[in-house]
Amino acid sequence: MKEFVLDEPLTGEFLAFLKSFGTVKLYPHLKRPYFSFEQEHFISIKGFVGDANVEVRNRKEFSDLTGDYFHLLLFYYHEGEPGTRKMQEIEKSIREKMKIRLPAPGN
Amino acid sequence: MAEHKGAGVPPLIYLNNAATSWPKPSEVLAEVTRCLKTPFFEQGRSTAGGTTDYPSATREALAGFFNADEPDHFIFTQSATDSLNLLIHGFVKNQKTQFHAITTELEHNSVLRPLHTLEGERRLTLSTLPFDDGRVSLHEIKKAIRSDTRLVVMTHGSNVLGSLQNIRPISEYCASNDIFLIIDGAQTVGQIPINLSEIPDCAFIFTGHKALFGLPGIGGFYLNDPEAIAPIRHGGTGTDSRALAHPKDMPQKFEAGTPNYPGIASLLAGIRYIERTGQDAITNKCRGLTALIIRELNKDPNITLYTPAPDLPVVSFNIRNLENDEVGYILAKAYNIITRTGLHCAPLVHDRIDGGKGCIRMSCSYLNTPEECRQAADAVREVADSADR
Repeated sequence: MKEFVLDEPLTGEFLAFLKSFGTVKLYPHLKRPYFSFEQEHFISIKGFVGDANVEVRNRKEFSDLTGDYFHLLLFYYHEGEPGTRKMQEIEKSIREKMKIRLPAPGN
Repeated sequence: MAEHKGAGVPPLIYLNNAATSWPKPSEVLAEVTRCLKTPFFEQGRSTAGGTTDYPSATREALAGFFNADEPDHFIFTQSATDSLNLLIHGFVKNQKTQFHAITTELEHNSVLRPLHTLEGERRLTLSTLPFDDGRVSLHEIKKAIRSDTRLVVMTHGSNVLGSLQNIRPISEYCASNDIFLIIDGAQTVGQIPINLSEIPDCAFIFTGHKALFGLPGIGGFYLNDPEAIAPIRHGGTGTDSRALAHPKDMPQKFEAGTPNYPGIASLLAGIRYIERTGQDAITNKCRGLTALIIRELNKDPNITLYTPAPDLPVVSFNIRNLENDEVGYILAKAYNIITRTGLHCAPLVHDRIDGGKGCIRMSCSYLNTPEECRQAADAVREVADSADR
């Protein structure tokens, strides 16, 4: 688990970007609007909208593949639609490598 | 107690005392400082004079605190986990053949893992008894007894449910049936009065860093019958260094190497603090604080309480529509309230109460205030209310 302090507060737009890659849960009515993001096997992120601090967790068995994933998300977010497509290619490439380690369905 | 981290940050409210207590009383910090400022002294290990022989003084203090007959039968270890490993593996080492052992679903992994490891090695067969209303009865234990049962290992108080086990009749039964009983007092010592003269025929484990207010890294056990356990640590004891065989007399039989003097000093100061404050006063205040939190949480139908009437200051719960780790994160980051989430190293309890998902646990100490507990309960209700929208 790592805690990151971002250069700027996290926004609703970034959460909309994250929806392209996994599940975003948002609780806007809390004292500080809380969100969580989960991309199975890749990464989970927790934080508050409008806050610059986030907690990021990687699965230990895939940390060599996903260690920089959060940095890539931050980078390609700023690239707009081409960035989203590029990120999806990266995700696909990592998933292929993960498949080798994951047990086959039914095992 | 509260500390201000900066403008706009709420005061810290620490409610994770079942994991480790914080803050420590000033007397404990002062004694540790005093211990560190002078050369360590222990008979046989140093010629330093004019300082406190902390191991000897603390064994005497423990004997008084627990109303035990033999100060030298108090053994210092790193922790309750360390104590349980020494006792369980030491008991097994003494057995010539495979035997049957009994434990319960309430146990911490410091009990379950050594036993399961030994079961895997075929050193023992294991029965794990279910609990009912947070307790395992003597009746259940009797039902599980076999002709080859030699060991029972069980908790005195659950770290998730806060329930107290009635260990006195269990101790008497085990003693009269030649079954060795190990009791894990990690959650009860310092929370309730414990009189070891009433449960003489067992090994009783304690840890220093929870309700005894000592440092992490110190714990121990009281062993009525040293012959029941084979030592698994051998080394320097500061006595009879010529002999290559490890000493058999107590306490050296189970201790080797330089003791954790600052940890032992913290234990001594913690015991003195509890005796000066009064165990009953501590017990009653903690129960009152816990009841306050439970009363407030009970008002919200979105909160599932697993400890409606705990014997120990433990409040375990979940909030609808939120994962327990999310609740813990929100309480910590938005409200500066420290709790613990997950399985609390007691997986079998959670299989029964929450489908194995885990829960949030709040646990207060004598040093918490009613206002802190009120604020914590209000925060939980605010989160529960908001999560439901």
